[in-house]
Amino acid sequence: MRKTNIVILSMLLIFSMLLAACAPAVAPAPAAPAADATEPAATEPAAAEATGEGVPMVLMPKFLGILVFDQAYQGALEAHKELGNPAELQFLGPTPENSVAGQIEILTNATTQGVKAIMISNNAGDQIAPAAKAAREAGMTVVTWDSPIPSAEGEQVFVAQVDFNETGKVMADMARNILGEDGGKFAVLSASPDAANQNAWIAALQETLKDPAYANLELLDIVYGNDQSEDSYNQALALVDKYPDMELIMAPTTVGIAAAAKAMQDEGLCDQVKVSGLGLPAEMVEFTLNGCAPQFALWSFVDLGYLSYYVAYKLATGELQGVEGETFEAGRMGTYTIEKDPTRDAGLRVLMGPFTVYDASNVEAASK
Amino acid sequence: MNALRRRFQPEQIRELVLIALIFGIILFFGTQIENYFSPRTFTRISTSVAVVAIVAVGQTLVILTRNIDLSVGSIVGFTAYVVGTILSRNNDIPPVMVVLLAVAMGAAMGALNGLLVAYGRVPAIIVTLGTLALYRTILVEISGANSVLTNELPRWLVNLPPVNVFHLGDLDIRLLFFIALVVVVLFQFIASYAAWGRRLYAIGSNPDAARVAGFPAQRIVFTAFILSGALAGLAGFVFLARFGNITVVAGQGVELQSVAAAVVGGVNINGGLGSPFGAFLGAILIDVIDNSLIRWLAISEFWRDALLGLLILLAVATDTVIMNRLRKAWSRHELQISGSETSAEKGGAHHAA
Amino acid sequence: MPPRWSFLRRWEGLLLILLIVIVAYNALNTPGYLTVNNWVNLFQLSIEKIIVALIMTFIIINAEIDLSVASVMGLSACLTGFLYAGGAPMAGALAAGLLAGIIAGLFNSFWISAVGLPSLVVTLSGLIMYRGLAYVLLEDRSIGNFPAWFNQLGQQPLLGPFPLAMLIFFVLLLFAIIILHYSGFGRYIYVIGNSKDVARYAGVRVQRTKMLLFVASSTIAALAGLLYAARLGAVRGDMATGFELDIITMVLLGGVSIFGGSGSLWGVLLSVLIILNLRNGMGLANLSGHVQTGVIGVLLILSVLAPNLFASFRASWSRRRARSQESNNA
Repeated sequence: MRKTNIVILSMLLIFSMLLAACAPAVAPAPAAPAADATEPAATEPAAAEATGEGVPMVLMPKFLGILVFDQAYQGALEAHKELGNPAELQFLGPTPENSVAGQIEILTNATTQGVKAIMISNNAGDQIAPAAKAAREAGMTVVTWDSPIPSAEGEQVFVAQVDFNETGKVMADMARNILGEDGGKFAVLSASPDAANQNAWIAALQETLKDPAYANLELLDIVYGNDQSEDSYNQALALVDKYPDMELIMAPTTVGIAAAAKAMQDEGLCDQVKVSGLGLPAEMVEFTLNGCAPQFALWSFVDLGYLSYYVAYKLATGELQGVEGETFEAGRMGTYTIEKDPTRDAGLRVLMGPFTVYDASNVEAASK
Repeated sequence: MNALRRRFQPEQIRELVLIALIFGIILFFGTQIENYFSPRTFTRISTSVAVVAIVAVGQTLVILTRNIDLSVGSIVGFTAYVVGTILSRNNDIPPVMVVLLAVAMGAAMGALNGLLVAYGRVPAIIVTLGTLALYRTILVEISGANSVLTNELPRWLVNLPPVNVFHLGDLDIRLLFFIALVVVVLFQFIASYAAWGRRLYAIGSNPDAARVAGFPAQRIVFTAFILSGALAGLAGFVFLARFGNITVVAGQGVELQSVAAAVVGGVNINGGLGSPFGAFLGAILIDVIDNSLIRWLAISEFWRDALLGLLILLAVATDTVIMNRLRKAWSRHELQISGSETSAEKGGAHHAA
Repeated sequence: MPPRWSFLRRWEGLLLILLIVIVAYNALNTPGYLTVNNWVNLFQLSIEKIIVALIMTFIIINAEIDLSVASVMGLSACLTGFLYAGGAPMAGALAAGLLAGIIAGLFNSFWISAVGLPSLVVTLSGLIMYRGLAYVLLEDRSIGNFPAWFNQLGQQPLLGPFPLAMLIFFVLLLFAIIILHYSGFGRYIYVIGNSKDVARYAGVRVQRTKMLLFVASSTIAALAGLLYAARLGAVRGDMATGFELDIITMVLLGGVSIFGGSGSLWGVLLSVLIILNLRNGMGLANLSGHVQTGVIGVLLILSVLAPNLFASFRASWSRRRARSQESNNA
């Protein structure tokens, strides 16, 4: 027993010494030029070489297996071809149950691989900031889309799908449209308490409701369905039971809004309680046509991916410096400006917008 | 008390204790939540427990043989998604075929588990931890990130959740809950009376003795895993009917929920003890607590899980303490009986000689 | 086979060969793999899990399980963040985080040792409850802006290329190996894992040993949670969710029997190195997270299945040979 352990141990030791001996010889190998973090941070990353060998890029969703993120990848691919970037565009994401640690892992590995630009739909809040800062120090361009790094540390620009304050107004307006001029009571069914963009939208909604124009709308409760169908479905029914005079469930998450609408339909509650929020036309078409969810909103994820790619590519090639006030062309989408992000304490953003509000008149066409 | 002792074994009393606990919890929440004692509450809980209850029965069959099936969550998600996708492309498949398809798909995945555990002699936790990841991976890879969409499913399926089978006074027995009930009754019957069911217990309580006694232990364990998979497949169908929109994360976490239902319901994790009905009660107990907590205005959204964990622990502790008392009472009693029986036998032997 | 090589037939030998194959493959095929930075990263990205895997090895060899570790990690980190945001000094907040781990461990072991509930049930409830408490503390907030020294400890190298967490891991590994494999207490753990009754008759204090292990488990989990907070620089309610299955996978691949009584830290160390290198290699080869988990799942099954199949083939082959010899003799 003992002897074999010692054999294993010594083999491990030899092995690690071999590695240590190899390491310095391999580190500067041309295969991984940007991998070495000891290199001084490049202020104008790779502007010259980008023309020759292209800009290897990564598009990272919150996690894999969700339709909207794949739509964003389609948009990014479109821009990738348009700009003729000879390097590869990778679509890499973690598994849903390992999203935070997985996103950090992918970002760190991208640094090792010498990826030049990464576009992150951040699901890790500020927890991703140290890894993003390390990536920046290694000369990588870091752009966020869909969901930013709240502290903006380690992030150059956030490509915002819509103005986060406007999201609050859009939700309040939809609530008023559905509940009518005399208003009413409603509740919010969110994803998880950790979803930074959801929290920002709900805060904006609460802010909007302070406006006297919305005085007859009353927000009863905020509950979480964790972006799981079962939890969201049960939570929606619990809201109905808890608040007999509630007339609307507002769900700013595609999983939550569909599950809540299905729950109201199954229990025959669509006449008393309506559902609204942010949803995918393809998932919502049935509930919009039968009146369970008369109105909801979303933006184009294809366009969001397309615009994010333009921003990241131009930052990586040095065409953009990533400072306030810069203006640039983003292909078919037109002209955009980098501005200070008014919805966060720090950070820059490129605002895409606008919302598309869907109802019975346009949902069918959009769901195809 | 003596009459009761002769009538029941401790394990049957256990189920009565669980039922009493469930009623106690319901009574408590009845004083806390407005409008709690209504048929609506019954409908809410009965429909939300259906998926986990069906999976927990299969889980029980496996745990009885001193194994465990952690892959059921992925099997539920896989069947819900794949059956949903097939149905979206072809709305005309008859309902019976759809259910059979889901069950067969689950059974096939369960068969792989069973093959590796029973004939490959790989510990069940290793096999099913592996296939938990593997089945989910295959699902994500084949899905291409598309979702199953409610409006592409056949009408009969989308409208299934509110369908009633019959009324029990004011209480609606919904079809999806009825399916779970049938599964529980069927497997309770098999576990208690069928030879195959009794052998599950024999293998779990003493595998060596079972082998010596000549039971085809490998085949029985293999079958238990097939059934667990098949029931997870059936649960996948229920999941599909209930939620309509299915993404690749469907069914995540069901594995731990089903194990929790089984152990709370008195199924011994070391095999040989417990019943499908007990696991069903365990699932109901957890669901009653969960569904009541989210309707309880006195506690905030963020206190829910902390209380859920504590209440599950307290329920199991109460149950265990009561059962230990009862078991002691029984064994004292049996000691007396067997004492007198042995002396009678001796007397008989003497007489024969 | 000469006796010197007999260890290759044991589990650890198999794992060692596997590790060498994986490392060699990565080294030849993956640019950027053989750099000091990448090797530090590869440990750092999972360092909290592998620290907890050490104590989980003790627990499983003792024929118990602790499913609550990841929730305890989250709870201790959130408590620390909560107190710090409330104005407590960082050192005090950290001490409170560790204390939360000790209390969680005492709570678990009360129900397991004193009441006699199965550890699976207790720690499954704990998994729900401690995570719930983390959310009670932080609700929908995320707490960051910790003192610079705290972030530095988690993110910068402390000694040579090694950050604090890696040094802690090495020290704990050394301690764990000495305790489990070279001490009387370690032998007790194996004896109890093999049979509680035998252990009791042999005079081993079963309940006290279990209590000690569960308190140690939660305390180390709390420590790992604090290291995780330092590495990420911010805390929130969902920290470390789901880590328990990864940790248990590491221990089981290391050849520790889920039924207790067998396995070694050498095996777990090899299994940790295999999983980390495999994940790193696959990550650098741009394989998706799902494929990585799937491959590790299949590896887990094959690592047990292959030796079993090999053994039964050899058995049937030797039987056949024996039979043919018999018929020759006849």
